[in-house]
Amino acid sequence: MVAAGLAVTLALAACGGGGGGGGGNGDDQTLIIGIESEADVLDPQAAGGWVTWRINSQMYEPLVMHDLQTPSDEAAVPELRPGLAESWEISDDGLEYTFEIREDVTFHDGTDLDAEAVEYNIRRMWDESSPQYSATAAGQTNFVWQFVDEVESVDEHTLVVRMNQPFSPFLRMLAQGGNGSTGIISPTALEEHGEDIAEHPSGTGPFVFEERVRGERIALARNDDYWGEVPDLDGVIFVPIPDPAGRSAAIRSGEVDVIAVPSPDSVEQLVDEGFQLSDGQPPHVWYLSFNMEDEYMAIPEVRQAINLAIDREGMATNLLRGTAEPAYDIQAPANDAYVERTDAYGRDLDRARELLAEVGLEDGFSTSIATSVDGSGQIVPAPMAEFIQQNLAEVNIDVQIQTMEWISYLGRWGEGAGDVGMMQMSWGMDTPYWLYIVTSADMIAPNGPNTGYYDNPQLDAVMQRAITAPTEEEAVEFWQQANQIATDDAALAPIVNDRAPYILAPHVEGWVSASQEWYDLTGVSLDFEG
Amino acid sequence: MALMIARRLGSTVFVLFGVVLIVFLLLQLVPGDPARTILGAGATEDAVEAVRRELGLDQSVAVQFFSYLGGLLTGDFGRSLTINQPVLDIILPRFQNTLVLSFAALVLCIAIGVPLGIIAARKQYGIFDRVSMFVSLAGASVPVYWLGLMLIGIFSLQLGWFPTSGMTNPRSPGGGVTDNLVYLVLPAIAAASVPLAVIARMTRSVIVDTMEQDYIRTLRASGIPERSILWKHCLRNALPPIVTVIGLQIGYLLGGVIFVEVVFSWPGLGYQLYTSITQNDMPLVQAGVLFIALVFVIVNLLTDTAVGLLDPRTRRKVTA
Repeated sequence: MVAAGLAVTLALAACGGGGGGGGGNGDDQTLIIGIESEADVLDPQAAGGWVTWRINSQMYEPLVMHDLQTPSDEAAVPELRPGLAESWEISDDGLEYTFEIREDVTFHDGTDLDAEAVEYNIRRMWDESSPQYSATAAGQTNFVWQFVDEVESVDEHTLVVRMNQPFSPFLRMLAQGGNGSTGIISPTALEEHGEDIAEHPSGTGPFVFEERVRGERIALARNDDYWGEVPDLDGVIFVPIPDPAGRSAAIRSGEVDVIAVPSPDSVEQLVDEGFQLSDGQPPHVWYLSFNMEDEYMAIPEVRQAINLAIDREGMATNLLRGTAEPAYDIQAPANDAYVERTDAYGRDLDRARELLAEVGLEDGFSTSIATSVDGSGQIVPAPMAEFIQQNLAEVNIDVQIQTMEWISYLGRWGEGAGDVGMMQMSWGMDTPYWLYIVTSADMIAPNGPNTGYYDNPQLDAVMQRAITAPTEEEAVEFWQQANQIATDDAALAPIVNDRAPYILAPHVEGWVSASQEWYDLTGVSLDFEG
Repeated sequence: MALMIARRLGSTVFVLFGVVLIVFLLLQLVPGDPARTILGAGATEDAVEAVRRELGLDQSVAVQFFSYLGGLLTGDFGRSLTINQPVLDIILPRFQNTLVLSFAALVLCIAIGVPLGIIAARKQYGIFDRVSMFVSLAGASVPVYWLGLMLIGIFSLQLGWFPTSGMTNPRSPGGGVTDNLVYLVLPAIAAASVPLAVIARMTRSVIVDTMEQDYIRTLRASGIPERSILWKHCLRNALPPIVTVIGLQIGYLLGGVIFVEVVFSWPGLGYQLYTSITQNDMPLVQAGVLFIALVFVIVNLLTDTAVGLLDPRTRRKVTA
């Protein structure tokens, strides 16, 4: 019976594991990356989260992209560069964007890229009356297209986007990944596959989709006809390994070449063993929203005291072992509007106690923090909340921690703070427009991600001037003013900026950690002889 | 016997309907909104509402349930809300992977657990008995998660015999049986640890009990060799409870391999179910639970049939 059982198991294993065949081509120039979770759909416009955009961005490109070949320490803010738009012009009133679409580009399925292809894609994300409209794509990219009035292909390679108001962050919003990616899909593939486009990706990027076996791998192959720098790698395979210890084991055993999100306490050991550490400073803030409807959190002095009582340096160094930096502004340093404010966010327990005494709370009070226990880009939220709990106990603030699993938390977070004092979240963008998304009165939950119901007309007025400035450069000054106002009023409590560490095997060369959440693999190669 | 099988098959329909109904109702209680899950942190309420409409989540719970049930009756398991693919396309490969792992673990359980229990019973209170029962107790007590990491540490990282995770070699997928088997060894051992211990201890206990029965004493008094008593007389009587325990362990394996799947990144149904539950992806969860329930019912039916064949008294009870 045992022999029969073994035979059946072998037979099942043979047909179960094979997956669809193909995959990596077996030679040494295929890079294998152990990623932290299964990716979302391979439809760049409908997908959510950085994990998926790191894969989609190898196949799909927006009109405007980031320079991800310059490391974070050389470019704190990633520069914009032409993507599928070779160049663009903005009218003096900031209402009209004219994009010159590249002429030498074909999609992976052979379709030529032209202005109409781009218009077809934009209508999928924005025009409810178009047949290709997708509510999911529209929801994901809402912040990009919200002020768009009309889109028109004026000739084969010229596309005009008209706005109903100036929107200075538009170009940077076009380059965003994760939520709100505008990667352009082959219109032929969209027509052919409709809802199933995620199973038949066809973009213009440096890598071509090869196969996806859910839970096992997503394999991409080099696009030899790529319009830009053709990658050195033959292909790249993304392997989901959800357990951090499993990822460390996989790189130690040589099964993968790179791992994402190593656990903070494993990084030092792996580096000692000869693995490379690559990290940068992407626009990523781990922060707390204060519930403005809470009797204590509504008091500015209380919010300021909490900001001054938190030991950001200690958390970054001791708890997170250098995988994050203390956050001294609401915006991350990978943002032109960054203003360092150690006076507001450096630790000063005496001043915190003074502030609490000024409002009669020297004996403290009880409050709560709601946090997820895991989740995309959330670092280690529960231990971080406990660290904050200990810090606040030193100024007599008693904190209860409410934890939830990530997806449940996301739903709870989207509804607004409700009856908790503070809520945790971790994200950010390289456009200062992110401040508007998380603090403006227009975005108060559940209508948007302002989960603490923060409402400050003075801040809103300055942000409005920033948004409607004709160009990004003119807007930066207003955004910096907005940061100062938000900091002085303690609108949020930024805690740390993630350094997004990657562990690379010794033979991986050319990996660059730019100031962004995703990476460009065109310069990566594998050198087993070095 | 035939009547018993017919009755059990009839009741299966009701069991499965109950599973569908209960899982559906329980999922209504899980916090979180699939539309918000899809759109993520930056979603506005309007966008969430539009996606809810697109997915049909704006309908009443009753309409959603009956529309789903109607689909099931025509063999349509629906589309995943989050992956946007037909549910069966996602579930079937995952289910097959879980079956591979569970079956391999079961083979280990039977091949090692039953002989271990028999030998321990025959050497009762001897050194083999004490050591094997201590080891099996430890096996049943050790968290699978920890055991998995230890196995990886020793056999993958120190000795380099087996890969640490996954089900196939991503550099050369489709590498054949040997390739896949290498990936199967450690997860199967980890998954087998608890049921193997239970089966070994149960076998030992049943054999010891049976060997103390009066008829065994009579057989011994008649001069029948001990070996013949054990294999011809004792084992036949001891088998029904052992088979029942093995049947129950199959159910445990199917539900319990999720931890093994996480530690070894085994792309099975358990981990998919966990993810789908947390994303409130109703069609995926329903189909996953239905598959597990179906297998559980079938295994129970097979177990009862086997016990019936082994023990005529059970047949009489049912048909009486």
